[in-house]
Amino acid sequence: MSEPAIRLDGVSKYFGDFQVLREVSMRVGTGERVVICGPSGSGKSTVVRCINRLETHEAGVIEVFGREVGNRTTPEALGREIGMVFQQFNLFPHLSVLDNLTLGPMKALGLSRRDAEERAMAYLTRVRIPEQAGKRPGQLSGGQQQRVAIARSLAMEPKVLLFDEPTSALDPEMIAEVLDVMIDLAEDGRTMIVVTHEMGFARKVADQMIFMDAGEIVETGPPAEFFAAPKSKRCQTFLSQILSH
Amino acid sequence: MRPLLLLALLALSGCASSQSWGWYVIDPTTPQGWTNVKFLVSGMWATIQISVIAAVLSITIGLLVALPGLSDRWGWRAVNRVYVEFIRAIPLLPMLFWVFYGLPIVFRSMGVNIPIDPFWGAIITLAISDSAFTAEIYRAGIQSIARGQSEAAATVGLSRWQAMRYVILPQAIRRILPPLANQFIYIVKMSAFASVIGMQELTRRANELVVTEYRPLEIYTLLILEYLVLVLIISAGVRWLERRMGADERGR
Repeated sequence: MSEPAIRLDGVSKYFGDFQVLREVSMRVGTGERVVICGPSGSGKSTVVRCINRLETHEAGVIEVFGREVGNRTTPEALGREIGMVFQQFNLFPHLSVLDNLTLGPMKALGLSRRDAEERAMAYLTRVRIPEQAGKRPGQLSGGQQQRVAIARSLAMEPKVLLFDEPTSALDPEMIAEVLDVMIDLAEDGRTMIVVTHEMGFARKVADQMIFMDAGEIVETGPPAEFFAAPKSKRCQTFLSQILSH
Repeated sequence: MRPLLLLALLALSGCASSQSWGWYVIDPTTPQGWTNVKFLVSGMWATIQISVIAAVLSITIGLLVALPGLSDRWGWRAVNRVYVEFIRAIPLLPMLFWVFYGLPIVFRSMGVNIPIDPFWGAIITLAISDSAFTAEIYRAGIQSIARGQSEAAATVGLSRWQAMRYVILPQAIRRILPPLANQFIYIVKMSAFASVIGMQELTRRANELVVTEYRPLEIYTLLILEYLVLVLIISAGVRWLERRMGADERGR
């Protein structure tokens, strides 16, 4: 097997005395789509936030393309390789949509304004809102804002995209437009790690499902098996709860 | 309205009795009154200069002191805390004496001869004293910007410094500006202390005229009105600035 894009080996993390991650291990190959699900407080968001160093881990090894993420790794250095889409969008409210997309490429990658804007417009077109380029994030709907956030991370042309519950803060009627864009990206062969409760999306795009509970990985597997016959009791309970309505 | 009416009555009655009001001393229609008014107002420029330079220094020093206060390392935060707590605890007047009379001696003992005149003595004191407060204003303003903003900046590859410059500060400045303006008004008023080390500003001029004319009520009344005009002009300027920034932000 070729070198994985992301590898976690026995990763543990504590918030004070509370252990949020218990020896989490996983590998994500290049081009692979992994969906992480689990009840709230299970540590699934913390896992992705450790991968791009927004959180630090206390034990175990995290590698991104063979390089260890450790004390000397800064999140901004990883930001050039790993894109992140947040639950709360976290767009820059004082900048136009276009400037939200060009800031990283210009300041971190050294692109000229012209090149950065060209690239930004290409990705805004990709998420189907090029006409909103001149507006402020606050003038857009939630779904539009999250699509801008996706375009903003794409504009850095990262090798891996992380999604931390990208649809959880959206009104129901806006979830589909964001998922459509994400499915589109998945079909592109991008490496993606997605924390979500959207099981329809997971069924459609995931190569690998990961179920977490109480800080540990309880069950993994390809979606067909995962949804048809979950092995653990905890996973069965969880799936029956979120699929029953 | 009542107090104003009373004041007006007092003023009128003053025309009759030399024991109460004597506006003649600053009556611009008489040659002597006009000379006195010019003398009093001539301190305005020094007050403005001291205040503006001290304010510029204060907002610069304040930012430099605030930044270590935002660090993850306790050592840097300690630098911020010690500076703020120490400077904030010193009353303005003793600090002014220390800077004006004491600091040149410190310089001399270190083998350098830096004289401190009343002008710079006042500016240094006001700037240092005020910087402890501006530092806290910056810190509060910056910390009020949600953590998600600096996280998002990091995920698009911005360093901490770039995130501060392009993402955090432009948002924080809208929250920082009104309290900073308050501090500027405070500096203008506190610059009156410069009179005690001989700086020829508004208050010093008033004191000197009181000594020769012996009309403290009228002269200090005018002095208060001079500060009032200065402060009202600053307030108007700040409101204009806030509106401009607000208009810029209406799309939120």
